[in-house]
Amino acid sequence: MIYDEPRTMPGGDRYMLLEFGNEMNLELNFLAQGLAAAIAAHRIKGVVETAPCFASLLVHYEPEDISFADLKAELLRLVASLGPSDDIELPSRLFYFPTVYCDPWTRAAIQDYTLKINPDKEYDPAFVARLNGLSGPEQLVRVHSGTEYWVAALGFWPGLPFMMALDPRSVITAPKYNPPRTWTPQGTVGMGGASTAIYPVATPGGYQIFGRIPVPIWDPKRRFPVFEDSICLFRPGDRVKFVPVSVAEFEDAERQVADGTYEYNVVGYQKFSVAQYKSWVASLDRTKRF
Amino acid sequence: MIEVLKPGLETSVQDFPGRIGFWNQGFPPSGPMDSWSFRLANVLVGNEPGAAGLEAQYIGPTLKFQRDAVIALTGADMGAKLDGMPVPLWRSVAVAAGQVLVLGPARGGTRCYIAIAGGIATEPWLGSRSTFHQAGVGGIEGSALKVGHVIPVGTGHGVAGREVKENARPPIRTDKRWDIEVCAGPNDDWIDAAGQARFLSADWKLSAKSNRTGFRLEGPEWTFAEKATNKPPEHGSLPSNIIDHGYPLGAINLAGQTPIILVNDGPSMGGFINPYTVPSAAFWKLGQSKPGDIYNFKQISVDEAQAMVRAMKAICTEASIV
Repeated sequence: MIYDEPRTMPGGDRYMLLEFGNEMNLELNFLAQGLAAAIAAHRIKGVVETAPCFASLLVHYEPEDISFADLKAELLRLVASLGPSDDIELPSRLFYFPTVYCDPWTRAAIQDYTLKINPDKEYDPAFVARLNGLSGPEQLVRVHSGTEYWVAALGFWPGLPFMMALDPRSVITAPKYNPPRTWTPQGTVGMGGASTAIYPVATPGGYQIFGRIPVPIWDPKRRFPVFEDSICLFRPGDRVKFVPVSVAEFEDAERQVADGTYEYNVVGYQKFSVAQYKSWVASLDRTKRF
Repeated sequence: MIEVLKPGLETSVQDFPGRIGFWNQGFPPSGPMDSWSFRLANVLVGNEPGAAGLEAQYIGPTLKFQRDAVIALTGADMGAKLDGMPVPLWRSVAVAAGQVLVLGPARGGTRCYIAIAGGIATEPWLGSRSTFHQAGVGGIEGSALKVGHVIPVGTGHGVAGREVKENARPPIRTDKRWDIEVCAGPNDDWIDAAGQARFLSADWKLSAKSNRTGFRLEGPEWTFAEKATNKPPEHGSLPSNIIDHGYPLGAINLAGQTPIILVNDGPSMGGFINPYTVPSAAFWKLGQSKPGDIYNFKQISVDEAQAMVRAMKAICTEASIV
């Protein structure tokens, strides 16, 4: 559901959360990204920073400079001034990542969690496959790697991408861990809700995990040229494709990363057209799976 | 320059308000957990309230001063001694080159702040000197203090013998119980009326599994409103699951049944609801409590939370010094 008027909610003395709807679709992310850009362009006094996500925008404000009520009025005015998303056409890089699915490292993290925290936890790839009516981990790999992913937001940890499957035939959903894991291997690929993410470093986490990439997605030392502009690899509007590989290929790429010879596989000549994307999606049979 | 002889349990360089403006890339502000004590330490030695200083947690460091300095200690009492002589809290103190400052375990509070006239002069990273050591950025080599680190200090004009007025100091509790203010929202409407009443009346114990990213709480089960269970599948199937969204700092983040208060080094986004938020002016209480302590939450309005932060800012000034 997309709300007729965005909902605003307070978060303590200096945050406002603005929700556009309660579903995940690209349209809502375009709205959130568009509003963040409009806020930046209009330099609203009292807005310290914003954090757009799939269907919402968090605003950090300074209450000495703007009240909650005035901020709400300003933001709703800006939302009304945003044009239709069909007009959006934006540069969108495409990143290919070698990915080991059902890998030994996330399996070890899951086993550790099962041992120490929740003995009833089912092996994540089997669990996600079962919940989504897939035949098993093999089909999960086929479905999950069968689409490009849209980088909708960065957050949770520096450089961590929150991504959505662009192909509706690859959309799957999963609950999050209860309680969360205390650690997750660096480079882990996982999902929660309908969101896929890559863990930039070893951190706690709540997503179901079932794969791992050997490539850094943030680099405070800027060892690779792709980090020239930012120590975070991704920008909202980038796309990601996971390419299933073997453990041996993973370890080979890992060695190249270690000695600095790894070449990021990035496609940089494409634009993403919202109108064309929508007409392509409309042509698909959304009930089909790969 | 100050040489680290012993690092203490986890002592780090912090400034206030920290690394602001990178929440949309996932960088937390970091900074001191008890910014009330921290700012007053700076004011005592003649620094700007937000200048970089040290935050010592649980067990303090041993530091050797390589040149004369004026310092101030605030917050938790770590039984500080300078060349064996006790050092008072809440008072600026002259230190001569070669003297050694020894801090021990915290008693009465958890975090002690050390300000040095001139401030710590490490290289800022993304606009702040604050250490975010879990990601290896800021501070000294991106980590908490280690033996052998040398802390650079700027030029200051501190005066010894200045003191913070009694009534301007944070009332650090020693009875292991804390009344913590909370504001409802953003997702309080995902909790049913019984659950909201239970949250505000229960004893919540601070878990040992807590650090500068999150404070885990142990307490009663949560119960949920209809919108938490009847929702589109992309939220995730558990009642506390929501489409990933930005997290306010201070949010009481409900991960399954475990509430985690997101503090200074916390995550910027995720897929759990945040029924309540601890306002910034109450963070000092989190910073001075320790695992096993009991929290009782008291709901206040956003206006009241904003008035608290204004009042605290006014306290953290020269007006509080005698």
